[in-house]
Amino acid sequence: MDLDKAKQTFIIEAHELLGAMEESLLAVEGQADPAESVNAMFRAVHTIKGSAGLFGLDAIVHFSHTVETALDRVRSHQLILSGPLVSLVLECHDHLSSMIDGLQQGDAESPDSHAEGEALISRLLPYLEGHPGAESPAGSALATRAKGTPPEPERGSWHISARFGPDVLRNGMDPLSFVRFLGTLGRIVHLSPILESLPQGPDFDPETCYLGYELDLETDADRQTLEDVFEFVRDDSQIRLIPPHSKVEEYVQLIRELPEEDRQLGEILVAGGSITAKDLEQCLQLQRAEAYEGGRVQGRLLGTILIEEQAVPPPVIAAALDKQKKFQERQAHDLKVVKVQADKLDKLVDLVGELVIAGATAKVLAALSRDGRMLESTAVINNLVEEIRDTALGLRMVQIGETFNRFRRIVRDVSKEMGKTIELEIHGAETELDKSIVEKLNDPLMHIVRNSIDHGIEPMEVRRARGKSDTGTLVLNASHESGSILIEVSDDGGGLNRTKILAKALERGLIAEGATLSDQEACSLIFEPGFSTADAISNLSGRGVGMDVVRRNIDELRGNIEIDTEEGLGTTIRIRLPLTLAIIDGFRVGAGNASYVIPLDMVLECLDLGPFLESEEHHLINLRGEVLPFLRLREIFQIPGEPPSRERVVVVEYGDLRAGIVVDKLYGEFQTVIKPLGNLFRQVKGIGGSTILGSGDVALILDVPQLIQSAAAVTR
Amino acid sequence: MVELMKLNKRQAQAMTTVQAEQRGQYLAFSLGGETFAMDIRSVKEVIQFTALTEVPLMPTFIRGVINLRGAVVPVIDLSIRFGRTFTEVTRRTCIVILEVGSSEETCVLGIMVDNVSEVLDIGERDIEPAPAFGSNLRSEFIAGVGKVNGKFVILLDVNRVLSVEEMASLTAETPAGK
Amino acid sequence: MLTIQEAKHNGHPVLKLGGELTIYTAAEARSTLGERLDRKGALPELDLSGLEELDTAGVQVLLWLKREALARNKVLPFANHSPAVVDVFDLLKVAAVFGDPILISPSR
Repeated sequence: MDLDKAKQTFIIEAHELLGAMEESLLAVEGQADPAESVNAMFRAVHTIKGSAGLFGLDAIVHFSHTVETALDRVRSHQLILSGPLVSLVLECHDHLSSMIDGLQQGDAESPDSHAEGEALISRLLPYLEGHPGAESPAGSALATRAKGTPPEPERGSWHISARFGPDVLRNGMDPLSFVRFLGTLGRIVHLSPILESLPQGPDFDPETCYLGYELDLETDADRQTLEDVFEFVRDDSQIRLIPPHSKVEEYVQLIRELPEEDRQLGEILVAGGSITAKDLEQCLQLQRAEAYEGGRVQGRLLGTILIEEQAVPPPVIAAALDKQKKFQERQAHDLKVVKVQADKLDKLVDLVGELVIAGATAKVLAALSRDGRMLESTAVINNLVEEIRDTALGLRMVQIGETFNRFRRIVRDVSKEMGKTIELEIHGAETELDKSIVEKLNDPLMHIVRNSIDHGIEPMEVRRARGKSDTGTLVLNASHESGSILIEVSDDGGGLNRTKILAKALERGLIAEGATLSDQEACSLIFEPGFSTADAISNLSGRGVGMDVVRRNIDELRGNIEIDTEEGLGTTIRIRLPLTLAIIDGFRVGAGNASYVIPLDMVLECLDLGPFLESEEHHLINLRGEVLPFLRLREIFQIPGEPPSRERVVVVEYGDLRAGIVVDKLYGEFQTVIKPLGNLFRQVKGIGGSTILGSGDVALILDVPQLIQSAAAVTR
Repeated sequence: MVELMKLNKRQAQAMTTVQAEQRGQYLAFSLGGETFAMDIRSVKEVIQFTALTEVPLMPTFIRGVINLRGAVVPVIDLSIRFGRTFTEVTRRTCIVILEVGSSEETCVLGIMVDNVSEVLDIGERDIEPAPAFGSNLRSEFIAGVGKVNGKFVILLDVNRVLSVEEMASLTAETPAGK
Repeated sequence: MLTIQEAKHNGHPVLKLGGELTIYTAAEARSTLGERLDRKGALPELDLSGLEELDTAGVQVLLWLKREALARNKVLPFANHSPAVVDVFDLLKVAAVFGDPILISPSR
């Protein structure tokens, strides 16, 4: 039993809930019918508050309570979710998020955090007490009270009977925290602990829960809220709730159903104010009479009593049914999604990798054995291995939509800060990429997006003057190309100003006076360290730290980045990344006495070099009219010895670049696992990893994008 | 591949802790006729020299990589690293597999040596600091000089000799890195 | 972590409990303290001033000890309830069940 683990789960789930809350908040402004989103954000805060209560995280409970109340008002149409309110709730969301983060360091709330929370709460108060113009005619109890009307008459209390299951403590819960939490929902008028079942002597198990209690709570909370408090222990414990002003029979029913002595329980109820002593006496006598009547026990189910006595109002029943339905739906949905720890997934992929290699070895040995049945058997195994491989690798893939969606908030906040209206369009959100890449993409994308908002998209007046729409558009697009993934960030802003760039480059001595540069070359200048043509350094970008770091990040992912811009019209930044999967289909080639592997999905075709050679001097081949550059592995890797008379060329493609790789021998397709070469070889250009062949030898995997780029560079 | 010696790291550590403060264990090997030794705690295993795959455009001290039960391990020619000659492969040539690095980042590497002789038991009192001159080895590579049976053995500071940082930067200076 | 210190106060044996008496330490407390019950002679006083954390499991152990002492016709007094202990006793309204006098110091 690990309480820390439970708390970690709470933190993770709280963050997820906060994420959902933020999404809803951002979506709500554009929606005609925001009911769904409002519910979603309410539920998120409500759940966080409840869970925090279980862990005794009072500060979080206290803060989220106010937010929840405000959202509840919105939910019940007593309050309209206006722009300013959305912004305020977003701030509250941020504060909650940092409170959850703070939990990692310990439970205590810092004085700064407390002050921040209190400030936000005081800004929320006007929304709670009724705000002129923001409220719909149907007022609320809270609103009337705030206007100074006398307090409502005695409301009576809920009677809560709890008998906790024996495993409650082992499961990380504590009845104590429920009491504390209930105390935040109202006033505990009376509490009687029930410790009758605590055994004597050696039977006492210190980790088993023997505690129960009967308590009376004066509260405005509804039945659902009270039930929710005990949600996590409901299944193992007996929790009964009796609403205020219930009929005596109900309490008596409770007494009968509980294992302890009737009289004792009765006295507890009397002490709690639920019933009077006289009523109790009468009922107990009645009960006894009933019980003996005709030797049969007559009694009524508490539930029946409640409904008959109309203690449970119809909307509550409807809500209960609704909740049940939602719960069932969620269960069905939960079955579709399983959370897996990242390191377990990595381990699985590793093992599948080993399996692939072992399968290759078996295949080689089977071929050598010339045993027909053995060959067939290994073929079957290898097919299965391939399927497992594809499935396992698929597990590592995540949709880029998750990353893209995070930008909605940023675009909103930043554009407000800049005083611009910018619309974010997302395409290709379902495009999948390896999870390790997604994490590393966040920072560079962030910077590019900020650049677009800050420098790319012009202020409204400028846009109007140029005849553009008031609202700027930012597009995030992701798609697959052969063997790689393409991510584009486009804006319809002012584009890069070539003149300015050249001027700045000249100033920094990056280019010589009078040098002529192509458009691409001019744009590439912005990747130089310290480069920024921003006139005023804004808060976000323009500190000149940006684009060179972005390029470096993309380099580390073995990708490339290019800029497409047109002055006055806009800019598109294209990032291309190779799909680095741990297990690849490779094409094996030989040069010298070593083997090399080319990722199969970049291979277009294989030919003899001879017939297609266009120019040895310029390293060009002519592929049915298309002239392509080539490079010779022997030359690039300085392999000693003479090439064979008959050389081969493998035509490869990366993005829209094509080239030929000239080798000595072609071996064929095979599946293999990429083994990273380690830090020592990080600097080697042209090698992207290594692998182990079925024979046990090590083969080096070629980094085709790098090779193609150098081939193209040579030609130029 | 035949494993000559496989030392369980824990065993090695246990052995050294038993003799705690006073004595340390060092693996002695010869390189170009000279005897060196290194702290046994860095040594994972010793294997016979096996087929090496060369990695193109690497500085010469990186001889290539080997397949160690499924892991690809780089192999370094210690002799070249020390500025001496290429290590010729004989039937006694061995590869010592080491784990180097800090507590945050460790790295598995192999070094080629002419042969491996024995495990020496050297007390702290018998270790003298590296000489200021006289050795043609870079001083920071030497952890100390141990006296064993009247003879002197140079104790190598494995983490410095095999500093991945330093070696990676040397790699950057070769044509491969440009 | 639960600490149990032996001491003497005016000639009487005292066991000072410190740290946390919670689900994590309940089993340990039960066995160590339970063992004292069967020793000859008067039981020590349990000084609770050092307890920084107490939960339901802790309350149960304390109650069990009290009742076990009673079953052996002995007395196991609790004293110097720490603020954490007072808080929990108050919440669960168990002070009366234990029966020891609880000193409320001026600072509360």
